[in-house]
Amino acid sequence: MDRTTFRRLGLGLALVWLVFCLFPLWWVLVTAFKPPAAVSGGATYIPFVDFQPTLQAFLDAFAGVRGDFAGPIFSSIFVSLVSTALSVFLGAMAAYALVRFEFRIRLLAGLAFALLSIGGFAVLNQLAGFGVPQALGLVLVTALPVSVWLNGRNLPGPILGNNDVTFWFVSQRMFPPIVSAFALFLLYAEMNKVGVRLLDSFPGLVAAYTAFGLPFAVWLMRDFFSNVPVEVEEAAMVDNIGRMRIFFQIVLPMSKPGLVATSMIVLAFIWNEFLFALLLTSSKWQTLPILMAGQNSSRGDEWWAISVAALISIIPMIAVAIFLGRMMRSGFLAGSIK
Amino acid sequence: MSHSPQPDRVKYAFILPAFLLVLTITLFPLIYALVVSFQTIRIVPPIPPRFVGFDNYTEILGSARFWGSIQVTAVIVFISVALQYVLGFALALTLHHNVPGASLYRVSFLLPMFLAPVSVALIARMLFHPVLGPVNEFFTLFGLENLPFLTSPSFAIATLITVEVWQWTPFVVLLMLAGLQGLPSEVFEAARVDNISTWRRFRDLTFPMLLPLSVAVVFIRLIEGFKIIDTVFVLTGGGPGTSTETLTLFAYNEGFKKFNIGMTSALSFLFLIVVILFGTLYLAAAQRMIRRYQ
Repeated sequence: MDRTTFRRLGLGLALVWLVFCLFPLWWVLVTAFKPPAAVSGGATYIPFVDFQPTLQAFLDAFAGVRGDFAGPIFSSIFVSLVSTALSVFLGAMAAYALVRFEFRIRLLAGLAFALLSIGGFAVLNQLAGFGVPQALGLVLVTALPVSVWLNGRNLPGPILGNNDVTFWFVSQRMFPPIVSAFALFLLYAEMNKVGVRLLDSFPGLVAAYTAFGLPFAVWLMRDFFSNVPVEVEEAAMVDNIGRMRIFFQIVLPMSKPGLVATSMIVLAFIWNEFLFALLLTSSKWQTLPILMAGQNSSRGDEWWAISVAALISIIPMIAVAIFLGRMMRSGFLAGSIK
Repeated sequence: MSHSPQPDRVKYAFILPAFLLVLTITLFPLIYALVVSFQTIRIVPPIPPRFVGFDNYTEILGSARFWGSIQVTAVIVFISVALQYVLGFALALTLHHNVPGASLYRVSFLLPMFLAPVSVALIARMLFHPVLGPVNEFFTLFGLENLPFLTSPSFAIATLITVEVWQWTPFVVLLMLAGLQGLPSEVFEAARVDNISTWRRFRDLTFPMLLPLSVAVVFIRLIEGFKIIDTVFVLTGGGPGTSTETLTLFAYNEGFKKFNIGMTSALSFLFLIVVILFGTLYLAAAQRMIRRYQ
């Protein structure tokens, strides 16, 4: 008896949610086709019944009547595709290493690295008068070998394993992004002063987004690789094929579904990202979300124009969601929560 | 995990590119920001850097705007995550028990979390327009006309919470559904044979078994929720006044409207400390709760 009650309740909830979920999307879709009169007279919902649809808003947008649409669309596509590819590639390599090899890092060596870097930078920059980029570079190339050497010594203290390294990668994501975005902005501004243009530039944005996507890529790919049977690789190793070749010619092709799914997720995150773009771009390489945020003040009540802009940013992601929904049904993604 | 330990040097070649990238892009800038946070630097008007010790930190800790933004962020995050969890879990249960049309639901339930928060906020701005929007029309049916959805502090917070729930409940659905599908079905068959009621099956079996996953899902949502800026940026701009200003937005305003870099760096490190403290406390409490249940 109570079984059917729960069933009905569930069904009711699902229906209400479906309407709640889809109504805003319906709204933005129809509003893009509304003539001005259909907006200023109050809410209208159904084309041909409530109002006569028009393509004017789309024509205006693509003709560039109000501001440049093509620029941000181009930079969004270009930046997000390149950084997604890079971060999935680098993330897959790191994830593979984390699944198939054993890492042992002494906590003390890690701490020494952090202390050397911070202390070294403070001394070089504040007392010795080095520029910020030079000081950071110098610190990096000295502190890294020192701590690698320390790691080889027989130091006391806990030893960190693969899970800790994975956590180190993933924990970047737990940082409030304003912390790293603002720090990166400061660094890029310093780089601009020494003549390396990174603010509002393609390499600067791609570097930031590649690092931004890495935590997801490492986390998801690690899971896929741990499900790839190790026997094939062992057979290849017996034949004396190098680890790199095994990775590129055997492992990567075998985990194609994982690579595709991971790329989709990383792509969605980068495509939608707002804060880094807000801080690191100013005009030339502005991405879509920044353009969108500006719509508000520049267009006021021109809802048809706002809707067209929103649709442009939304449609690729709808495709991604549908694709992932299909994959989810075939049992994929269940593994990544373990 | 199945890794055969090997003393291979090649492992460093695999991990080094990613490691160096995170180091140079994410962590090393933090060092500079840390140093800056102990100085007064302004870009506009430019004043030379001066070491001021913990002055920036104490000034922020003494400012009402900082505590206000913490409060706003906490209210939005806690209420919206609670709603997301309850709704998301309920929806996942419904989907798991195969309501008619489940595949349609699955895709449309996923959609919101893949949309740019900026676009979602733009759409919400239209929907919540106090005169022309459909939400106003809906409330007019109940005789509540022209409610100040975005211009009164408590309404604006409620609107932001609604948008957050709309966008991120799918995330909870997605993970809880995956969790439900991974549960051993024999236990539930046995419970059904023993004629244990649906509610008790949920309370005594499903919920405790999914508690570790729930803890993780809520944790991810809380941490992600603390970062909220884009929705607020577009929807209310932090207004009216600073009544909906979240921590990230506050930091952004400090840095890019006042160009007070030292202060912003200090603020972002305080933010980091808040998140780390909160995360540690949450995980400790969650661990205790899981132990009590099992």
